[in-house]
Amino acid sequence: MTDSTGANAAPDAGGDASANGDPVPSAGWAQRWGDRLASFRMGRLGLRTRVLLMFSLGSLLLAVFLSGAAYSFTRNSLVTQRDRVGVEGATRNATLASAELAARPVDASPAINQLQEQGIEQTVIRYQDTWRAGSPLFTQDDIPPSLVSRVVDDRVAARIIVSEDGEAKLIVGIPLVEPDAAYFEAISMADVDETLDSVALSLFFGAIITSMFGVVLGWFVSNRAVRPLAEAAQAAQLIAGGRLDTRLEVTDDQDLRLLANSFNDMASALQARVERDARFASDVSHELRSPLMTLAASVEVMQARRDEMPERAQTALDLLVSDVSRFQGLVEDLLEISRFDAGAIRLNRDDLLVAELVRQAVAVSSVPSTPVHVSERGECLVMRGDRRRLARVVANLIDNARLHGGGDAEVFVSEAENEGEPLGHVWIAVEDHGPGVPEEERELVFERFARGGVAGRRSSSDGAGLGLALVDEHIRLHGGRVWVEDRRDGEAGARFVLELPAEEVGI
Amino acid sequence: MGAVGTRILAVEDDERIRAAVKLALEDEGWTVDEAGSGEEAIELFTRSAPDVVLIDIMLPGIDGFELCRTLRRTSAVPIVMVTARADTHDVVAGLEAGADDYLTKPFAPKELSARIRALLRRIRPIVPGHAKLVFGNLEIVPEEGKVLRDGAELHLTKTEFRLLCELAQNPGRVFSRESLLDKVWGYDYFGDGRLVDVHVRRLRTKVEVDPANPRHVVTVRGLGYRLQS
Repeated sequence: MTDSTGANAAPDAGGDASANGDPVPSAGWAQRWGDRLASFRMGRLGLRTRVLLMFSLGSLLLAVFLSGAAYSFTRNSLVTQRDRVGVEGATRNATLASAELAARPVDASPAINQLQEQGIEQTVIRYQDTWRAGSPLFTQDDIPPSLVSRVVDDRVAARIIVSEDGEAKLIVGIPLVEPDAAYFEAISMADVDETLDSVALSLFFGAIITSMFGVVLGWFVSNRAVRPLAEAAQAAQLIAGGRLDTRLEVTDDQDLRLLANSFNDMASALQARVERDARFASDVSHELRSPLMTLAASVEVMQARRDEMPERAQTALDLLVSDVSRFQGLVEDLLEISRFDAGAIRLNRDDLLVAELVRQAVAVSSVPSTPVHVSERGECLVMRGDRRRLARVVANLIDNARLHGGGDAEVFVSEAENEGEPLGHVWIAVEDHGPGVPEEERELVFERFARGGVAGRRSSSDGAGLGLALVDEHIRLHGGRVWVEDRRDGEAGARFVLELPAEEVGI
Repeated sequence: MGAVGTRILAVEDDERIRAAVKLALEDEGWTVDEAGSGEEAIELFTRSAPDVVLIDIMLPGIDGFELCRTLRRTSAVPIVMVTARADTHDVVAGLEAGADDYLTKPFAPKELSARIRALLRRIRPIVPGHAKLVFGNLEIVPEEGKVLRDGAELHLTKTEFRLLCELAQNPGRVFSRESLLDKVWGYDYFGDGRLVDVHVRRLRTKVEVDPANPRHVVTVRGLGYRLQS
């Protein structure tokens, strides 16, 4: 479509301005119209809508054009035919009238009567300045003067189509051989009109059907045109979701092949890159784990001989032992998080009884004595998840409580609150007795190596701050979420809540 | 403490790791032979006949998987794989190649000792007074450590044999992966279920006529495995 904003707006604006003597509001008005028109421009519409609109408009225009052409062709041929038949009939009748006039040249009445007997009523004969009509429905007044002058004065046969009270009539005028005599006959064209009306009606419906067909066709075509785009969008979504081997099918269509090939090239490049990253993480893993292996084994040998060492060496050994294990944990965390970044995490999902999982996880955590409280419904909750990763999450939260929360953590397993039936989520909450997490830092604590204000109060020499970031990643991978809030009982302390999809089962 | 005289063959290309692990394992009471490559390991294996083999997957020349398969061709010796990558297909590939258990670097040598002890644990007589158990065409003689199918003896590894005996203790009962991990490998609740799955797969290729349609070692979806006639 063309942009008619300027052409339309300018005169309108001018007109308004002269009327009001105030150009400012009129300019605003023009602007509004401009905007409104602009919003109808094709560019704003979707591809599907555009194709649909083009097909609809195209088929409508085609239907109107074809219907118009068909109507006028039909009309012309019908009128021409009726014209010819009418003129032929009138000529015959005129010859008849002429013969009658020649036999009884007094006046035209006998001729009129003669014609009336043959059923031809709508006739007018002018003979020696006198008009005689065969029917009151058609008198000399009904004959247009132009026809009279041509037939009577110029003595030329002529015809004209007039419309009287919405009814078309063919009036034929023929000069007779007798001097100053002319024959006029009116032939009704009502049946032609009727035929044309029904033709117009069927053409009208034909046009509507054609247009509708065009709309349907446009819908199909636009769908077909958009389908490769929808497929590409779906493939892109799959890739974003981690299915890196997703490819588009390469079709025979030249234009689409270009799209599919470029898309597939992009996907391959992306896949190669992600795989390289994953391989890098894995290589780093090997490189870092080897020296750690030596450290861990050597430290164990030294630990077995701790009693034989002087006191200062024992202190140094204790430091070494604790930092080797800290280093080990840090490397594990780093590797785990780089696997997340490479999209290389594959969950090993099982059906898990949440309460049992939490109890077991606490039992092998750094504070196995942490009490676990399970609500009545909490005992019956089952979820699908990676046993070891979820245990790690619980262990990380307990570690976090131990390091930053002043110890004495408590774990709660319960059904999620504010949920209808059936229950869709479980809450695993870890409460500590630390200083709590201020409102403005509650998002920050889940970031990697969260330090700054958070660290000022919460950090100790232990923990580089990857633990909570890993909790967040793991829980998100399981389709859940984690947040931190104040303790429920009003005492000082933080409450970390894991919300995970779970189902209630009868036990 | 390991049984006196129990020999462990440690195959590891990193000299320092080898030295440190040897020290730590010797502290635990085992006798340790070292090999720096797969080739060396094969030679040592035939010479010293170790009770347990410890194999690092990343080896120059013959890699850990290949070494494992080579040893398995002639021996049912317990094999522990050491991998630096716990979450990749390395673990499954190592178990498929015939390893009985795996550890991820860096592990505590004490943990390795516990694993080795579990692998060497003797099978207790299952049903006292019953010399053999029969399941259709399958015959188990626990005391002799023998399994026969249609009268012909099958060559099972120690772990496969123990897995089969564990299932045979309660024919028809469903054993969860966790309980099998606990009983056969001595793992706690967080052991790797893949260990069980791969060993069941390997066991089937030996005891089943058609491993794709097992008749004896049957999977119970979502629950675990059971043995039936």
